[in-house]
Amino acid sequence: MALRKRVLRTLLENKGRYIGIFILIFIGSFSFLFFRGFSGNYARLINEFAEENKQEDVSFTTYEPIADVPALEREVGAIIETHRHYDVQLPEERELRLIGLTETVNKPQALTGRDLANPGEILLSPGFFNSNGYQIGDKIEVGGKTFTVIGTAALPDYVYILKYVNDVMAPPGFGVGVVSADELEYPEAVTVYAVRFNDRTNVKAQVSGLYNALVGKGISLSEWMDASTNKRIRMPWATISGMQAMSVPVPTAMFLLSCLIVGLMIRRIVRSESVIIGILYAQGYRRKELVRHYLSIPVLISAAAGVSGVLLALPLIAPSVKVMATLYYTVPYENIAISFLDIALGILMPVAFLGIACLLVIRQELNKPPAELMKGSREKAKANIFERVLKLESLPFDLKFKVREQLRSVSRLLFLLFGVMAASFIMLIGFAINHSMNVVFSGESDAEFNYSWEYAFKELQQGEPSPGAVPFNAIRCYPAGRETVEFYLSGIITDVPYVSDLLDAKGNELPKGQVNITSLLANRLRIGVGDELTVVNRLDGKEYSLVIDGIVQTYSGQFVYMPLSGFNKMLGMPEGSYSGVFSEETQNYDPAVLSGAKDLRNVTNTMDELMMPMMTVIISLAVLGALIGAIIIFLVISLTIEESRSSISLLKIFGYRSKEVKKLMLGSSRPIVIIGFLLSIPVMLASMNAMYAYLGEMINIALPILLSPGYVVISFVLIYGVFELSKLLCARKLAAITMSEALKAGAE
Amino acid sequence: MGWGVRVFLTVTNLVKSYQTGIATPVLKGLSIELDKGQIGVILGPSGSGKSTLMNIIGGVDKADSGTADVGGTRVTDLSDSQLVEYRRESVGFVFQFYNLIPNLTVAENVEVVSNISKSPLPLQDVLASVGIADKKNRFPRELSGGEQQRVSIARAIVKNPALLLCDEPTGALDFNTSRSVLALIQKVNAEFGTTILMITHNSAIAGMAHAVYRLRSGEIAEATHNAELVPAERIEW
Ligand SMILES: Nc1ncnc2c1ncn2[C@@H]1O[C@H](COP(=O)(O)OP(=O)(O)O)[C@@H](O)[C@H]1O
Ligand SMILES: [Mg+2]
Repeated sequence: MALRKRVLRTLLENKGRYIGIFILIFIGSFSFLFFRGFSGNYARLINEFAEENKQEDVSFTTYEPIADVPALEREVGAIIETHRHYDVQLPEERELRLIGLTETVNKPQALTGRDLANPGEILLSPGFFNSNGYQIGDKIEVGGKTFTVIGTAALPDYVYILKYVNDVMAPPGFGVGVVSADELEYPEAVTVYAVRFNDRTNVKAQVSGLYNALVGKGISLSEWMDASTNKRIRMPWATISGMQAMSVPVPTAMFLLSCLIVGLMIRRIVRSESVIIGILYAQGYRRKELVRHYLSIPVLISAAAGVSGVLLALPLIAPSVKVMATLYYTVPYENIAISFLDIALGILMPVAFLGIACLLVIRQELNKPPAELMKGSREKAKANIFERVLKLESLPFDLKFKVREQLRSVSRLLFLLFGVMAASFIMLIGFAINHSMNVVFSGESDAEFNYSWEYAFKELQQGEPSPGAVPFNAIRCYPAGRETVEFYLSGIITDVPYVSDLLDAKGNELPKGQVNITSLLANRLRIGVGDELTVVNRLDGKEYSLVIDGIVQTYSGQFVYMPLSGFNKMLGMPEGSYSGVFSEETQNYDPAVLSGAKDLRNVTNTMDELMMPMMTVIISLAVLGALIGAIIIFLVISLTIEESRSSISLLKIFGYRSKEVKKLMLGSSRPIVIIGFLLSIPVMLASMNAMYAYLGEMINIALPILLSPGYVVISFVLIYGVFELSKLLCARKLAAITMSEALKAGAE
Repeated sequence: MGWGVRVFLTVTNLVKSYQTGIATPVLKGLSIELDKGQIGVILGPSGSGKSTLMNIIGGVDKADSGTADVGGTRVTDLSDSQLVEYRRESVGFVFQFYNLIPNLTVAENVEVVSNISKSPLPLQDVLASVGIADKKNRFPRELSGGEQQRVSIARAIVKNPALLLCDEPTGALDFNTSRSVLALIQKVNAEFGTTILMITHNSAIAGMAHAVYRLRSGEIAEATHNAELVPAERIEW
């Protein structure tokens, strides 16, 4: 049928525009399936791993061994398996945590190679294995013993490998290795009780039950790690939630933008062809046939783009999950599957979105009686409310003209505004995350430590600390009634500098003799100076009340500081006792008395390692934002020109110079582009803050979202550059409009 | 032409053809003249080349050969960018279908031209003299055809052009409206001394012009000059 050929011709006539729309929908479908497939698979892998390999619900360490573990198991209805671990320093600043093989709780699973079978064998975490370039069969020297590397393994309690559970990242060169339990006869090895309840419902209550049972028996805990707040276990869920959250707004934004623009274009086509439509009607064509004809363009485009997006996302999901599973969160990666529903949605959603939007537009146009249609489409000149209400008389003509040009089509204006906002948003997110990470983890802010080493003791110390050591005492606690927020209450000495300077928002040093809270924690708890804070000791459940005297401005760390003497008195600890020290020089403590030693100097190194993959993400986001911006701005400018052909032609007749025509026609979008960009900044900050607050609650992290002026400028330059580029591309279209178009107007 | 004050427009041997597969000659070596401050009318059936002639004089189309001089400028020798300046400075256009910009108000449509002219007439005066001062904030769609044509005339004269070109200005209007628009054109000529070249296929209009050229297939079939002008209000057809 002749109508069918016209569809193809319409598509070819405006290639550029349809390619732009294709890319928008493509991005939508791709990101939908990719994020869904990725997060869905990852969530499933992690859940299955936790179930099949019996991930702990809680683990703890005690000052004295528990005498009768089987009795405790019966009492609380759980499997409690003890294992030991021991940190061994290796050459080149590497460190390996040897973990004894367990049989029932936190069972490791070999990812490559095979399971442990013989003494003298070791399974390594994949990151450590890869970064050291080991091969299966290599012999390695660890802690005075020689082990044979037989493969890599995932551990349910080390899905995210952290040396200290309250860190955000492990130091570079840190890894874990599973060895047979007999190999851990080191006297300094820590014994951990890992607990998994038999009844899988209401685990939270059972965890508190166990806690009360232990405290009731007078067992003093030296560590208590609830899986629900344990970063080694919860961290991947933050990423998964983030991805799941991304799988909705990005595609929705792309599809909605496409709807707006395609709806606009279809309306234009239908209106400009209203005479033909009227004639076809008069000749007995049914409305259904005509609707189908005009609907075929959006349906074709969206189906093609949806299928392409899905086809590109499909093969990328499995490799991405694998990369994630080896480099970041270690889980076994098998049977990666993509749900048919997701695939179908990835294709059908854009078709439905565009189909429905265009159907509404087309029906509205075709509902007019044939006689009216045949009269033509002069009515497109009707002025809308905004054009009518606006009083522009006193403005200079150029400005008036541009305002009118923009107001002419409200949907076009909204498309441009939201489109630029979406593009800037995507761009800014990458930069904001990058900058926030830099500020939080690198030397840009308060991470400038006054000491190089932090030592933590297994037991409370008393007496004079060794020379050069600055003592502190700390307990892990949570605010009464809000267990998910964990922080340290630290007693610090007041006459020498603390590990980091305690500065308030104005940069003034806060007195160390008072109770100071870090700004991140204060924001999270919504408390300020003069407020009372009730804290609960995580290890013994005792409550203490504090009044906040000052707020330490910081982008990292959740702490409450008070003087050591007051701290010890409040907790009933001996005067002068301490649980750790800071020191400028290394101290020669017996490893047996230490529960950890932290090199504060390599925080930045850790950052560099993390920044490599970050950079790729940020650059991709910036490119994606610029691409979307370019498409949207190009579409709008080219549509504006299309709709103003006769005006442009007239301007040329009246003797407007081509530079003047360009300025009037192409420049009118500029303020919208700028406003869209500016609006995207608060929108991005607000939504990222909400997202971070949600994720922070999951993994007990308080992350600020910060935007540096430099990055704002870079983003603006990119968006604005894209605008100028689109103008350049469209200038040719402008030049191609002849004066005869207006001379002949109405003459057919 | 002894009574001419000063010749303002001279077209000599103008030739123009369009390439549509085969070359179609539209103007076949045609010559006309018009004195400063006079009204000239070009009469002829549809397709005889009236618009083509006017477009060349107005600097929006090019001739194959021959010359057109307007106020001492050889329009046919101007480059594209010189033509832009020529149109900008010297020519006002009035079209059959008004060609107003639909999303601009009446006043703004006139400003489109006054915006780029060196010494435009006061906007208010121009609107008043064409009789649409009270409708200056309306959009073109909200006006009748005659009113729209008045706006179009206001737009053409606001820059006080040396030459006003009207291509069938009454072609889309009814009799009474046509007469009042023609009266307006006559008034512009009298008030501002504008030289006016008007196209029409209505020979009744010939009476209101100083010079009348009958065009037939790209050639001048007859040229007449009226010593006495008929006021537009008295024209009948
Ligand atoms: N751009 C063009 N291309 C081809 N032929 C044209 C073009 N413009 C006009 N013509 C032809 O030139 C002839 C004269 O046209 P025109 O000057 O518009 O006549 P009129 O204004 O007297 O009706 C007509 O036959 C028309 O078809
Ligand atoms: Mg004509």
